[in-house]
Amino acid sequence: MSAQSAVRWRAIRKEAGTTLVALAMALAVALVVVLLTSHDPYKAFSTLMGGPISSNRTIGLWIDDVAKLTLTGLAFSLVFQARQFSMGVQGQVYVGGLCAALVAMSPIGGTVFAIPVAMLAAMAAGAFYGLLPGYAKARFGASEIVSSLMLNYIAILVVNFMVRAYLAPAGTGQLMTEKFPDTAIFPAIIPGTRFDLGIVIALAATAIVWFVLYRTAWGLKLRLVGHNPGFAEYSGIPASTIMVSAMTAAGAIGGLLGAVFVQGRAFGNLSVDFDGNLAFEGILIAIVARSRPLAVPFVALFYGYLRQGAQLMGIRTDVPSEMISVVQAVIILLVASSFSMPGKKVIAKLLGQRAAPVTAGSAAK
Amino acid sequence: MIELLMTVFSATFFVTVIRTTTPLLFATLGGLISDLSGALNVALEGMMLIAALTAVIVSVYAPWYVAVLAAMLAGGLLGALMAFFHLKLKADIILVGFAVNILATGGTVFALAAATGGDKGTSINLQSKSVPAVDIPFLDAIPGVGPTLDRLLSGHSILSWLGALTVFLVWYFLFRTPWGLWLRGVGEYPAAPEAAGIPVSKVRAWSLVASGALVGIGGAQLAMFNFIGFTRDMTAGRGFIALGAVLLGARHPVGAMLAALLFGVFEALSIVMPNLFNWIPSELIQTIPFVVTILALVLFSYRAQRARQLKTLSKA
Repeated sequence: MSAQSAVRWRAIRKEAGTTLVALAMALAVALVVVLLTSHDPYKAFSTLMGGPISSNRTIGLWIDDVAKLTLTGLAFSLVFQARQFSMGVQGQVYVGGLCAALVAMSPIGGTVFAIPVAMLAAMAAGAFYGLLPGYAKARFGASEIVSSLMLNYIAILVVNFMVRAYLAPAGTGQLMTEKFPDTAIFPAIIPGTRFDLGIVIALAATAIVWFVLYRTAWGLKLRLVGHNPGFAEYSGIPASTIMVSAMTAAGAIGGLLGAVFVQGRAFGNLSVDFDGNLAFEGILIAIVARSRPLAVPFVALFYGYLRQGAQLMGIRTDVPSEMISVVQAVIILLVASSFSMPGKKVIAKLLGQRAAPVTAGSAAK
Repeated sequence: MIELLMTVFSATFFVTVIRTTTPLLFATLGGLISDLSGALNVALEGMMLIAALTAVIVSVYAPWYVAVLAAMLAGGLLGALMAFFHLKLKADIILVGFAVNILATGGTVFALAAATGGDKGTSINLQSKSVPAVDIPFLDAIPGVGPTLDRLLSGHSILSWLGALTVFLVWYFLFRTPWGLWLRGVGEYPAAPEAAGIPVSKVRAWSLVASGALVGIGGAQLAMFNFIGFTRDMTAGRGFIALGAVLLGARHPVGAMLAALLFGVFEALSIVMPNLFNWIPSELIQTIPFVVTILALVLFSYRAQRARQLKTLSKA
C-alpha cells in the first residue's frame, strides 16, 4: 500500500513539475508580448501577476472564476476520460442558463425552491444537449466534434434571440433580463463579494465526479472504454452506451455551470453572450489536470488567478486582456505534447503515428 | 414564398452563393488534404481567422496579391506549428488544433488592437484593400445567352476562379501524382508506406502546411472580398462547417466542392432571407448553416455506416 502511494506521489510530482515548467514558459512568453506592446510594461505585468489579490473584491472575482472554471474543467474531463472530443460545453452552458433563468423568472423564482429547481432544470437541459452529439455518434457515426461545435453556435443564437425578443424588459432595447428575485440568486458566503454558493457547488461537483469515476462500476467502465476500447468491447462493456451516458453526464455539468453563471452574484440575470468564452477554457483545465477530477480545482485556482490578472490588466493598463489567449495556447501545446492522449480513433492509426517519428528523425538529417 | 423562389433563381443569388462558397471551399480543400494524410485539422477555424487578419493588415501596406500570399504564409506557418507539436512532440492533433483556435480567437483581437491603436472590434480605421472582381465583357457579345452568361459569370472574386481551379489541382495531385498516392497511403495505412521507405511524418507535415495555406486563401477571400476588413470572430464557425464538409464530401475533392457549395447555398439563403421575411428573427436565420451542417452530417454518416455494413455483409 505504502509503495503504491509512493509511486503515485512520484507520478503526481513529475506531472506537477512538467505543468510548472509549461506555466513558467507561458509566462515568459506573456512577458515578451507585454514588453513588445506596452508603454508601461512594468505596470502591465505587475497587474497581471498581482492584480487578483489587490482587494477583497478582486479576490471574490477570482474565486468566482475558479468555481466556473472548475465546472467546465470537470465537464471536459469527463468526456476526455471516455476519449470523446465533444466540445459542447459552451452550448450546454447557454441552454442551462436559459432554463435556470426561465425558472428564476417564473413564480417559482420567488420561493425557497428557486435555486434547487433552477439548477435541476439547467442540468436537465444541459444533459439533453450533451446527449444529442453522443446519440448522433453512437447511432449514426457522426463526428461528435463537428456536431457539438454546431450545437454551440445554435444554442448561443437561440438564447440571444430569446433574451432580445422575449425575456428583456419590453421597450427598453436592453440585451439582458431584469434582475432575478433575491430568492433565486445564490447567497453570498462573504457579504459584499462574489464569493457565493458557486464555489461550494463546484467543489461538491468535483467530489461527486471523482466518486463516480473511481468508485462506481459505471466509472470503471467509462475509463476502460476511454483507455482501451478494444478490451472494453471484448469484456462485454456496451461501449456506445457508456460513451453516450458520459457525454450526457458531462452535459449535465455544463448545464449546471449555466445555472451558476446566471444565478451567481456576478450576473443575477440572463444576458446575451454571457459566458465570455469561459466555457471553452475548460479544455485547458482538463488537459493540464490530465482529466483527473481531483486535480481540476487546483488547476482552476492557478489558471483563474492568471485569467483574473489578465482581465484587470485589460482594464487598468494598455495591454488587452485577450493577451491571455497566447498564454493559454502555449500551456496547452506544452502540456499536451509531454504526454499524448492515446487511442483516440483507431488503434491501427495510432501504431502508425507511434512508428512515424523514427522516419521523422532520419528525414530531418 | 414566390419571392424566395424568384430570389433563389436569380443571377444575383448565384453570385452570392459563389461568394459565400469560396472561403468554405478553400477551407474544405485544406481540411481534406490534412484529413487524407491522417491528421484531422480542427484548427481550420483559427487558421482562417488569423489568415484573414494577416490579409487585412498586409493589404494596408501592399497590393492585394501580396496580402493573399501573406495569408497563405500565415496559414502555412500555423500548419507547420501544428506539425511540429503533433509529429515531433507527439501532442494529440485535436488538442494542438484547439490550441491554435484559442490562440486565434484572442490573438487576433490582441493583434488588431495593436495594429489599430486600441480598437478591439473591427479594422474599420485601416485602409485595407479588396481582391479584384473579374468581369468578362466579351460574354455579353454572344447572341442569345450572352447577357445571362455575363450576369452569371462576371463579378466573381478572382479567388473564386482560383478555387475552381484548385479543386482540379487538388484532384490531380491526389489521384494522378506519386506524392498524392503517398499522402493517401500515409493516411490510409501508415505502416505500408513506411515499409516502402516513404517519409511518413514528412508527408503528414507538408500536408498540414498545405492545408494551412489553402485555408489561408479562404481567410483572405473572407476579409478582402466577402467583407472588406476584419471584425472579431468573423469566421463565425466556417472552419468548423468546413470540417463537416470534408466528411460530407466523402473525402474527395469534387465531393468537397459540392459540400462546400451546399453550405454556401444555405449561407447565401441566410443572407437574403432577412430582406424577404422580416418577421423571422435574424438570430434564427443565422442558425440555418449550423442546423444544415448537423443534419447533413448525420444523414451522410448514416448512409456511410449503412454502406459499410452492407460491404461486410456481402463479404461474409
